[in-house]
Amino acid sequence: MSDVKTFMMGKYEAHFPTDRNYSKNHMWALPIEKGFRFGFSAYAVRLLQDVYFLEWHVDEQSPVQQRQEIGDIESSKAESGLYSPISGTLTIFNEALLSDPSAINVDKYDKGWLFEIEGSGEPLLSIDEYLQHLESSWEVAQRTIKGQVY
Amino acid sequence: MAPKITVVLSQGQSNSPVKRRFEEDLITAVMMEPNMEATVVPHLYDLKPDGTGMLCLKNLSGTFIIGSWLFPRAAHWILHRNGIEGKFGKSALVSDGEEEEETEQAPPPEESNSKRTIFHLNLKASKNVDDYLEEIRRIVKEASTPLVQLSLNDWIKGKPKPEQMDRYLNAEEPGKRNGNGKPASLPILGEVAAKNGTPPLTNGSEEASPETVEPIRIEEQTKRRWYPVIDFSRCTNCLECLDFCLFGVYGVDKVDSILVEQPDNCRKGCPACSRVCPENAIIFPQHKTPAIAGSPMGEAGGLKIDLSKLFGAPEGSALDTAVKERDRELMLDGREAVGATVGVPKRQENRQDEPKDELDDLIDELDSIDL
Repeated sequence: MSDVKTFMMGKYEAHFPTDRNYSKNHMWALPIEKGFRFGFSAYAVRLLQDVYFLEWHVDEQSPVQQRQEIGDIESSKAESGLYSPISGTLTIFNEALLSDPSAINVDKYDKGWLFEIEGSGEPLLSIDEYLQHLESSWEVAQRTIKGQVY
Repeated sequence: MAPKITVVLSQGQSNSPVKRRFEEDLITAVMMEPNMEATVVPHLYDLKPDGTGMLCLKNLSGTFIIGSWLFPRAAHWILHRNGIEGKFGKSALVSDGEEEEETEQAPPPEESNSKRTIFHLNLKASKNVDDYLEEIRRIVKEASTPLVQLSLNDWIKGKPKPEQMDRYLNAEEPGKRNGNGKPASLPILGEVAAKNGTPPLTNGSEEASPETVEPIRIEEQTKRRWYPVIDFSRCTNCLECLDFCLFGVYGVDKVDSILVEQPDNCRKGCPACSRVCPENAIIFPQHKTPAIAGSPMGEAGGLKIDLSKLFGAPEGSALDTAVKERDRELMLDGREAVGATVGVPKRQENRQDEPKDELDDLIDELDSIDL
């Protein structure tokens, strides 16, 4: 793998490869022939921890809007809706994750990829912009989590 | 010792074989206990108010235990809505081996005059039948000990004979037995009462052969229902739900207290009013978001963190979401969307997250915030 950059989530070191873009909703975006392949960033995986279950609400080849709810995820610690990081056409889901989502935890930057979208990739961030985004939103993230736990 | 305590099992909505097997295992385990008997009803939330299932539950006198695939808070207020009241009995059994939090909410104050306790078990908390059995035993012990020691001894000054015990225990709910003679209305329950009337006085010893009683199974054709359940320990009667809902679900009683008047007018899947409620007092027990489904505040058991906001759920307040949800339902119903023009609460914006006691306090608080 290429170089990585690090963000400290408390005491946890989250690593981010520098060979790709990122979205504000904590997915990596690797340019492919047409559009991008997406997966969860280390930040997202750390928040989720062990993923138990993943479900998609749209079909392959569907047009999606940025921030459209496209699925659900449940993990040992959390559940969440999943939202499209960009607008475009969602071309394919990673079929393998549906029966066994563990690749999200063990190989998040490769085999744990989620889906591909054909689109301009308009609001995607560079690695440095993403790290800045993490910096500024870490407080809010902690509050969101603590606010629900305590 | 104590009379048999009823353990009600409210079945899951789906026919999931895993759940069914678990339910049957639990029932079997309960049947083997000398001081318990089992009653099986369909999913609590789906029971019709005048159906056999609710009728059966209404006829249970005294303390009982109910296990359901619902958050205890949801199950408690569903029973309340149907006139089945009791102190909220919390189970210590929470999911994933997490320890019970100390921050559990105080029992609903207006209910403290209810004599009996209804203990709730969340069947989602563990996959292990033994965990439940252990917890049920603990509850039975807890529920019966003070009853006998504190009041009965005062009353008869000595060791109770079985008949005295019987009279004492049956006298516990005079309204039920003497007032209207309800137990006879369901033959199947008469039978239980008869069995219940002669509690096996085994001195709690294990060697006494446990008398297994077949569980009572209430067969009621249920359809999946969807309607709000109000937590009256939180509700301040601000009536914002009444203003917001355009499907005529809510109404008020003679003294202008909110009630769910037409539950089945509710639009399946729509939790909009619960998002509008400033006190988070409206429960949709089948909603996927734990906070809407009645997860207790402060209890980690069974409750997962919702990361949707962090993972890019569209920005916007709960109110925006509620307005969207309502519009969708209006349009599905062939009506015009109204957006935020109708019944939108005024206090919802800018509100703080601290719990609030009085409406006045709330308004004062908001006035003092410079935003």
